[in-house]
Amino acid sequence: MPCWYYDKRELRNTPSALDNIDYETEMRYRKEGARFIMDTAFKMDLGCNTKATGAVYFHRFYMFHSFRQFPRYVTACCCLFLAGKVEETPKKCRDIINTARGLLSDAKFSTFGEDPKEEVMTLERILLQTIKFDLQVEHPYRYLLRYAKCLIGDESKLEKMVQMAWTFVNDSLCTTLSLQWEPEIIAVALLYLAGKLSQFEVVDWVGRTNKHLRWWDMFVEDVTLDLLEDICHQVLDLYSQPVAEAPPDSPPLSPKPPLPAPSSSKTNGQEKEKTETPKVKPPPITTTTATTPTVAPVVPEIPAYSYPPAFPAAASHAGSYLPQYTNPTVAPPHIAAPPPGPPPPHISAAQAVLYPPYVGPPPHYAPVVPPASFYQPAPAAPPHRPFYPPPS
Amino acid sequence: MSKEASTTYEDLNIIGTGAYGTVYRARNRTNNTYVALKKIRVSLTEDGIPMNTLREIGLLKQLDSHEHPNIVRLLDICHGQRSENELVMFLVFEHVDQDLASFIEKWANSKAKLSNDKIRNISREILSGVDFLHSQRIVHRDLKPQNILVTQNCHIKLADFGLAKTYDFEMRLTTVVVTLWYRSPEVLLGQSYATPVDIWSVGCIMAELFMLKPLFCGTSEGDQLSKIFQILGKPHENEWPATNVFINYNSFEVKNKIEIRTLIPNICDNAFDLIMRMLTFNPYKRMCALEALNHEYFMEEPLEL
Repeated sequence: MPCWYYDKRELRNTPSALDNIDYETEMRYRKEGARFIMDTAFKMDLGCNTKATGAVYFHRFYMFHSFRQFPRYVTACCCLFLAGKVEETPKKCRDIINTARGLLSDAKFSTFGEDPKEEVMTLERILLQTIKFDLQVEHPYRYLLRYAKCLIGDESKLEKMVQMAWTFVNDSLCTTLSLQWEPEIIAVALLYLAGKLSQFEVVDWVGRTNKHLRWWDMFVEDVTLDLLEDICHQVLDLYSQPVAEAPPDSPPLSPKPPLPAPSSSKTNGQEKEKTETPKVKPPPITTTTATTPTVAPVVPEIPAYSYPPAFPAAASHAGSYLPQYTNPTVAPPHIAAPPPGPPPPHISAAQAVLYPPYVGPPPHYAPVVPPASFYQPAPAAPPHRPFYPPPS
Repeated sequence: MSKEASTTYEDLNIIGTGAYGTVYRARNRTNNTYVALKKIRVSLTEDGIPMNTLREIGLLKQLDSHEHPNIVRLLDICHGQRSENELVMFLVFEHVDQDLASFIEKWANSKAKLSNDKIRNISREILSGVDFLHSQRIVHRDLKPQNILVTQNCHIKLADFGLAKTYDFEMRLTTVVVTLWYRSPEVLLGQSYATPVDIWSVGCIMAELFMLKPLFCGTSEGDQLSKIFQILGKPHENEWPATNVFINYNSFEVKNKIEIRTLIPNICDNAFDLIMRMLTFNPYKRMCALEALNHEYFMEEPLEL
């Protein structure tokens, strides 16, 4: 079984990086591709698992190929096409392309070439081989719900927190988190983040024992606060990226903040970093990068963020079901109202814009053209048989 | 052979040709190990590789990540040639020299009996593999000595599961006769079926380990059922499926009943009891794999390891 998790060094040493695409640009391409998968999936009424599976295929694909060679929107369509089939929510390739055409500018859509369908269908086999037929992908959603069911507290606050965490999980698909951590850990981290931001402190949970310092100790082992905060910041960074007014391949206007205590190398959930877990109550998460919670530094008290109507999704769907992905057009207020004191650099970028404008694709690659006969319609398909048909 | 597959794998010889296609023994050039290449042909539709195939291959990959000791390892998947409406894929499995059919044949020819300890170990490992498949919601549905592999250390690995729908395409292209000998009554009667069909097959295979020849050798669905009833007796009429049966209850008459214990004279009571519970006519009353593994037969003596 190939390992689909990478450390930060590997994430900076991708085929795109070797192809002279700088890290920030690659992250933007990844974000745009994943966001496009989600937007297309949303338009086509595809569920969260299908879009998440598509996004994970997308990120994995570009661990083996360069964005210069494979235009991201074609790959994104192909990933969603394949994910639809794997998650049993199939959509016709033609329909996906038509939806994509509606979402993309003509310039972007031109990367699909003369015959968009053929372009996507040809890519399907390359995609399958690249992701090594590892088609079944797990996502944080189910863990999120499973963990949330164990938390005890005010119902409405809890619900608000879970909805917010759900939105964070959606947005985390735009990051490379799915290439770094198992879905269980991402679920814990984003519930933790949602808890902090919605001011819901989890003090009790079903199944609590003396061994548990925090609620997540019940579900994941050796997960440090440093790690959780690193994950949270990777998601929060999405909301605070500066407007890219510069030409395509130039670096963003303001430099990215140093990453908080980069996590050490890891292999799987069982052997995460072994940094000592602080025995004291964790300090509240702040948007500053607290690298050494063990020392319990004097952390400025986080101001009371007035949470609701922050996330459109969380606010408008305050019902019995979880929010569908909605495309937020404004930065959530917790970014708009930074805590007192010197704000962290990534917040200081005045205008937080979620989706920097599109600034041109990497050069087009010569499509692999299959023999013309390949995609001719198959002759009348034989009758479909049930899964385990009785022998005739 | 495909370009992709041929660079890594060198074909040596055909191991088997079944209803499900051809299996080759091949050498992996990169690490000089032997593998079994299973060639499957996938029908391509207007929308590429069919959903069933993707789902089944995805499941096989996921199954493999558990690395169950009694399941054959899936090492790789390669594309092969594609034509207008089909794509050839190679599933690369670990290569095991011997299957249970040739193992049994070897013992039958040697005129010696398999020791009870060996039979117990083989049966237990088959059941562990089956229990694992069932826990992953996979019905093998074609368990037989030909697709149960026996390693040099006499450990068992199950092969050929999980591609039922993918195989359907292949099946339409071949006329190879599929053996009926390990088929359960509900399959023979055209009923819907589930995991108990595999337990029936294991029951037949266990009996075969003692007898060193197959228990029920029918030549058609009807004949297979007669052979079963001749040895096990006809089920009570109210056990007969009520609907959608295309063979009438009254069309069977059991003549010359054979007492099963005379077929397996030197079997111990526990083994006999276990086999009979696995060969229960009613699939709902048949033992499941986990119950079988907890049967006294597997508890009675120190196991040979």
